[in-house]
Amino acid sequence: MRVPLSWLREYIDFDLSADELAGLFSLRSQEVDGIQRLGVLDGEVVVGEVVEFGPHPNADRLSVAKVDLGGREVQIVAGAPNPYPGARVPVVLPGSTMADGKKLKKAKLRGLESYGMMMSERELGISGEHGGILLLDGGYEVGRPLADYFPVGETVLELDVNPNRPDLWGVIGVARELAAILKTEFRTPEPRLVTGGSPTEDYTLRVEAPDLCPRYDLRRVSGVTPGGRVPLWMRRRIHAAGMRPVNAVVDATNYVMLETGQPIHAFDAAKVRGGIVVRRGRGGEKMTMLDGHTRTLDKEMLVIADEERGLVVAGVMGAEDAEVSDETTDVLIEVATFAGRNIMETSQRLGLRTDASGRFERGLDPNMVSYAMDRVAALICGTSGGRVAPDTLSHYPEPVGSWEVPMRLERAELLLGMTVEKDEAAERLGLLGCQVRGEDGRLVANVPTFRRDLEREADLIEEVGRLVGLENVPEVLPGVPLPGGLTPSQKKLRTLRRLLADLGLHEAVTYPFGPDRWKRSLGPGNGDAAPLELRNPLSAEASNLRPSLLPGLLDAAARNRHFGARGGALFEVGHVFETREQPEGMREYALRYRLTGETGLDAEVPAALLMGVEEKTRVAGLLAGTVRPAAWNASAGTAGFFEAKGVVERLVPDARFGPGDEPFLHPGRSAAVLVGDAEVGWVGELHPETAEKFDLAGWPVAAFELDLGAVEPDPEPRFRPFVNVPAVAMDLAVVVNRDVTVGAMLDEIGALGSPMLAETRVFDVYEGEQVPEGKKSVALGFTFQAEETLTDRAVKQELDSVSDRLRAAFGAEVRGG
Amino acid sequence: MCYHSRSMTAAGRIEELRAEALSAVASADTTGELESARVKYLGRSAELTEIKKSIRDLAPEDRKTVGAASNRATKEIEDALAGRLDRLSAAEREERLRSEALDVTLPGTPYPRGSLHPSLRIIDEVVDFFVGLGYRVAEGPEVETDYYNFTALNIPPGHPARTMQDTFFLDEGLVLRTHTSPVQIRTMLSQEPPVYVVCPGRTYRRDSDPTHTPMFNQIEGLAVDEGLSLSHLKGTLAAMARQVFGEGVKVRLRPSYFQFTEPSVELDVSCFNCGGADPNCKVCRGAGWLEMLGAGMVDPAVLEEVGYDSERYTGFAFGMGPDRMAMARYGIPDLRLFFEGDLRFLRQF
Repeated sequence: MRVPLSWLREYIDFDLSADELAGLFSLRSQEVDGIQRLGVLDGEVVVGEVVEFGPHPNADRLSVAKVDLGGREVQIVAGAPNPYPGARVPVVLPGSTMADGKKLKKAKLRGLESYGMMMSERELGISGEHGGILLLDGGYEVGRPLADYFPVGETVLELDVNPNRPDLWGVIGVARELAAILKTEFRTPEPRLVTGGSPTEDYTLRVEAPDLCPRYDLRRVSGVTPGGRVPLWMRRRIHAAGMRPVNAVVDATNYVMLETGQPIHAFDAAKVRGGIVVRRGRGGEKMTMLDGHTRTLDKEMLVIADEERGLVVAGVMGAEDAEVSDETTDVLIEVATFAGRNIMETSQRLGLRTDASGRFERGLDPNMVSYAMDRVAALICGTSGGRVAPDTLSHYPEPVGSWEVPMRLERAELLLGMTVEKDEAAERLGLLGCQVRGEDGRLVANVPTFRRDLEREADLIEEVGRLVGLENVPEVLPGVPLPGGLTPSQKKLRTLRRLLADLGLHEAVTYPFGPDRWKRSLGPGNGDAAPLELRNPLSAEASNLRPSLLPGLLDAAARNRHFGARGGALFEVGHVFETREQPEGMREYALRYRLTGETGLDAEVPAALLMGVEEKTRVAGLLAGTVRPAAWNASAGTAGFFEAKGVVERLVPDARFGPGDEPFLHPGRSAAVLVGDAEVGWVGELHPETAEKFDLAGWPVAAFELDLGAVEPDPEPRFRPFVNVPAVAMDLAVVVNRDVTVGAMLDEIGALGSPMLAETRVFDVYEGEQVPEGKKSVALGFTFQAEETLTDRAVKQELDSVSDRLRAAFGAEVRGG
Repeated sequence: MCYHSRSMTAAGRIEELRAEALSAVASADTTGELESARVKYLGRSAELTEIKKSIRDLAPEDRKTVGAASNRATKEIEDALAGRLDRLSAAEREERLRSEALDVTLPGTPYPRGSLHPSLRIIDEVVDFFVGLGYRVAEGPEVETDYYNFTALNIPPGHPARTMQDTFFLDEGLVLRTHTSPVQIRTMLSQEPPVYVVCPGRTYRRDSDPTHTPMFNQIEGLAVDEGLSLSHLKGTLAAMARQVFGEGVKVRLRPSYFQFTEPSVELDVSCFNCGGADPNCKVCRGAGWLEMLGAGMVDPAVLEEVGYDSERYTGFAFGMGPDRMAMARYGIPDLRLFFEGDLRFLRQF
């Protein structure tokens, strides 16, 4: 809501600068988004009369005027050609400060002195009009300050009105609020009607959808001078409040809306056939609206029609058909209240939000209708010479009355944590429009109907608290009667993230929705579940919810590559989503659960099933390109299977690695990560096709993804006794068939169950000239350790049993004796 | 005579050898030369050793003189050797160390350095603060039901507040949560008061412009107990602000509106950078205050919805944006940087 301060001052006196007012309003009521200034901030604007007007001798596009400022004549260079000798014009004098903060100086323009400036409507803050100099009528006296007629500068407060306060969508409501803040009075204008117009009852009013229209009032103003314009003072207010002037009648309706918050519609009575019908839209009904667009209405939209056609989508926008035009002489004024939710939904479905719909959807006070009607009728009479009908057609079957809300002072003190004086509370509530009485040590407020947000005790307590001032609330730290703390899994997550960062990975947070490419390129590997999709994505490129963290990280890696990175390592901990298939016939229960929280008749059904979504937390890492740059004493590290596997082994100490089957991974360079028999994730190099689709072709890329539950970055330590007897280290190199896996060899060695064998290390794997075709050499290092000093013989025996075992299992030949 | 002369000759020879040896020791420049001198003058086949061996063949009267002289000479040479060795080996060690010197300005062996996301750094810090006060951390799903995300929070279908939160919709009745408030509902439904929890997590709104991203992080908190008031809310959040932005900051409350709190407030923190003194401050842009979070006393309708006695219990709730807090704290100009996985950005944290 834009509040021009000169307008506000019509209803309330206050001695505050704009900045002070904005600060105070922010601390007591609504946030002030900004302060806008229009016209002349400081200085003098006088009415001048053009004496001479002619072309500038040195410039084609400029003119020179001699202007009488009332007793003295000055020369002014102008850009606009519209003044003429005898025209009265506003002249701003040198030394004045304009809205943009610039100070006007005496100037020479193309060699000619120019004393001040003749002003357009825009320069005066009256409208956006900048086509020429504003020409004043003969009523403006030459030499008088223009400010005697209307303010030449304006300061506009931009209020961010909370949705529960539709009363603040009008300047009068803002004045009432300010009065409550300042503990002062405010006043409202008294409408003076010129009666004697043609009767409204020449028309009919029929409300066919009373559920959507609690009140509808219709009154006629006839004998209106066609094509009139409202006076400057009104136009400049409408402009300052952010609307555009249209014509005298429409401007009057807008003016009263800005003043009271009540939107008003005016029909050209001559174009209304028979009367007004308030009904629902007819299926397929079309309406060409004032913005020139034709829209199709549905049966839930409320339409204001005559007996033949729809004229207005109620509360949103009118059609071209019965609008007031420059020919209109007879006007039907609609002041009504509509069901807020219906207006909101209509506005959403039509994709059309207007000043009116924004107000109606908050739910307006039906008792505001009469005042707004009188006020707008009076203004039309005053500005366009009309006469008001003696009668008003009114549909208001269930008048809304005020209601009572009690407030206990001790409850107020408990909620606010500060002392609340009874008289103070009563006075503040009174200033807001409540009638307050004391009763049994509490206050009872009779709440006016324009404050529908004040329903309960807590609502009143909030009003008292903020008006007294929240700076009076002390700071108290409560003693929490519970031991706080992170759960083990929350602690584990912390350790995990810290560990990954310490291993050189960078933590990313990526969007969980992405393009179809995500689902196409990753294949059907994530079970058979259908991917989850957003119904209203920001773009088609962001509609698929991720079943895996991988695609977001791949996109990030591609971006990094595009930005010139040579590689890098990313990780992310986040949720992944999949559809969870619901059994037949569960839909009804699912919807009830989702909309009402009830699990239905059968409480056995787990909530997760009713959600229809499987959501898990996973951790993923992505290594791409060069993950460790070369240094003068260290070679570069490149992304690859074993780089990624090393990280996984660090995160899941007991991991085993089985054959992988993720379609987006290299089939020969990927593995399933197993803990016990359970598959808890995967690790591998990216399939070249996947890399290509994600714009990473040619880059080595390896990744892993793990269930968070399987990760154990810092397992609970367990002490194992050790002896001081020196250990013996022995190496063994064997040649086996190429397809024998080292994992199987290690399993065999483990199966020996040697009590002496403390550690086995793989320190070399070799294929090439030194071993026969189709074979490889695997070099193993063993550490033997026992309670007593080991003899050479005992160690030799143990080593022999290892090589025997490998020979038996894999035909392994011991290399080099 | 003969013996006498022999003994005289031996003594003279000892003296000669002594002088020769001392001179050789003194002129040895390396420990190797010194060792050669030792072998030459004191070794097994050195002349002095031979003389000593032959003492028993001398006349008894000569034995004493020659013995004493040779012992003295030996001792003297040994002392000289030891002294010289000390000096030479010290010099040699020094020389060796000199030759081993490195260019210590070369960089050390690189150990990897990754990073933690700036928003999550803030979340960890705020969570730690509340955990220290006795709070627990509650979590919940990001795909939420319409009921938990809106209705249970006193935002029934058709309420205007729903349109304020541009919502991503999934299958009927499911949304991407627009705030972490549903976690509070889930928490209250699962336990009786007292409740003290913080709920960090990702939230989603259908909004994308230079200052809004369709995903953002939130930390919400909830306390429900007997006797809780707005002053407790203010005290708790003031302490939190001082933890995150420094001991000196002040807080203020402004009235606000949230459907699930009454009274509702916004909390501003005095600018930790300029304290309001700099009209051109880059952090607060001269306002002196930073909008930090929305909060309020839990609406009685919300308490009743989860089955709490709203007469007996009161509570406060708050929600803040760790992304924006990170922007203020680390001087990050653009929210969109947070969610791109851009290494140029991530590396800095």
